[in-house]
Amino acid sequence: MNNERKPIAIIAAQHFIYRLGIKTITGVIGVDLDVYEASSFLEIKEYLTNQSCDFIIIDEHILEADKNDLQSLKLLCPQCKYLVFCDSLNSRCEHPHAIHPTDSQKKTLEKLQKFFFEPEEDNESQDPTTDILSEREIEVLKKIALGYANKEIADLLYISINTVITHRKNITEKLGIKTIAGLTVFAIMNNFIKPDDVKH
Amino acid sequence: MADVIHRDYRLIPIIDRFGINFGFGNKTIEEVCFDYQLDTSFFLAIINSYHNPNYFPQLELQSFSTELIIQYLSNTHAYYLDEKMPEIQGYISQMQLCVIDKNVQNIKLIDDFLKGYEEELRKHLQKEDNNVFPYIMALEQAFETRKCSEELIQQIKTTPIETYERNHDNVEEKLSDLKNLILKFLTPVSCKAICQRLLTELFRLESDLENHTRIEENVLVPKVKLLEQQIIETLS
Repeated sequence: MNNERKPIAIIAAQHFIYRLGIKTITGVIGVDLDVYEASSFLEIKEYLTNQSCDFIIIDEHILEADKNDLQSLKLLCPQCKYLVFCDSLNSRCEHPHAIHPTDSQKKTLEKLQKFFFEPEEDNESQDPTTDILSEREIEVLKKIALGYANKEIADLLYISINTVITHRKNITEKLGIKTIAGLTVFAIMNNFIKPDDVKH
Repeated sequence: MADVIHRDYRLIPIIDRFGINFGFGNKTIEEVCFDYQLDTSFFLAIINSYHNPNYFPQLELQSFSTELIIQYLSNTHAYYLDEKMPEIQGYISQMQLCVIDKNVQNIKLIDDFLKGYEEELRKHLQKEDNNVFPYIMALEQAFETRKCSEELIQQIKTTPIETYERNHDNVEEKLSDLKNLILKFLTPVSCKAICQRLLTELFRLESDLENHTRIEENVLVPKVKLLEQQIIETLS
C-alpha cells in the first residue's frame, strides 16, 4: 500500500465552470487531491464500477430525479464521503454534507473543511437516547415495545413486578411518552427492536 | 366581532364552528349572532372559555339547552375529523417526500402512529355522536314532554352517563406522545417549515381537545346526571 497516495475525489457537475470553481476552492482550503471530473451521473457510475475514490462532490442537478440515486452511488462506493451542492431545500439537502444556496461563503468553506478533514461522525454516537435511558431501562423498554405485560417482563428479566413498574414510570418520565404505541415507535426509531418483531 | 379575533386569533376556527363567515364588517357580536340566529350568551361563554382556560363559566354554560351544547360539540367533532386530521396527515405526507435514509422509516412510523391515533379519535367521537348524544337528546325530550319510555328508564338504570364518563378514555395521551416523538427524538429533517407547521397544529389540536373535554366533562356530564336523576325521580 502506498500511504503517500493523494486522496481521490470525483467532482461532478454539468458545466466545467462549476467543476473548476469547486477544484479551486479545494485548493484554497489546502487539500491536495487527485481529481476526476464527471459531467454526468452515468460518468460517475462508470468510474466507480472500475475503481474506488475517497470523496465525491456532486452538484445536485446531476443527480437523477429518483431520490435513491445517492444511495445507488453509496452501494458502488460505500467508503466514500459525499458532499452535495444543493439548489433548493429538498431531500438531498438533508444529507449531512450538503451546501445550501443560503450558505454564506464562510459557511461553505467551513462545511468543506469539515467534509475533507473531520472523520465521519458515527450516527449512533449523536443519538440522544443512549444518554437518556439506562441499560436496564432500555431492556424493559424493548419488552414493552414488543408487547409484553408487566408480569411477563418481570419473569423474562428476573426482576419483581414492582421494579418493572418503577422502570416504566421512569422511562415515561424521561421520554415524555406514555402510550405503548408511542414507546414502540420510539424503540424502532432507535433500533432497539425491529418493526417485524412487534407482536400484534 | 373583528375585535374579538384581533384579540385572540386562536378563535378563528371556533367562530367557524358556529357557522360564522368573515366579512362581518364592523358588526358587534350581538349583531352577528342575530344574523346567524345564534344564542349570544352561549357564543360568548364558549369563546371566553377558549380564550382563557381559567374563565370557565360552568354554571352559565349549564344553563344553556342541552341541544345547543350538543350541536356545538358535534360541530367540533366534525371539525377535528374532517378538517384538522386531514391537515395534519397532509403535513406528514409532505414530510415523507422530503426525507432520506433513516428518516424514511421514522416518518413512516410516525405516519402509522398518527393513523392509529386518528382511528381511536374517530371511534371515540363517533361513539359520542351516535350513542351518547342521541341518548342525551332522548333524555331531554322525555323530561320536557313528561313522557318517558320503559326502554329509556332501563337505559338510565343500566348505562347511565356515569359509565360513559368512566369510559371517557384519554384521547390526548397519544397526541402528547406524538409531539414528543417529533420534538425530542426525530432526526432533523430538511423540510423544517413543514415540520414546524405540523408541530404547531398538533399543539393547537391538543389545546382545542382539552377545552372540548372540559366542556364535556364539566358541563354536559353534570347536566345529564341531573336530568337522569330528575327523570328517575319524577317519571319512573
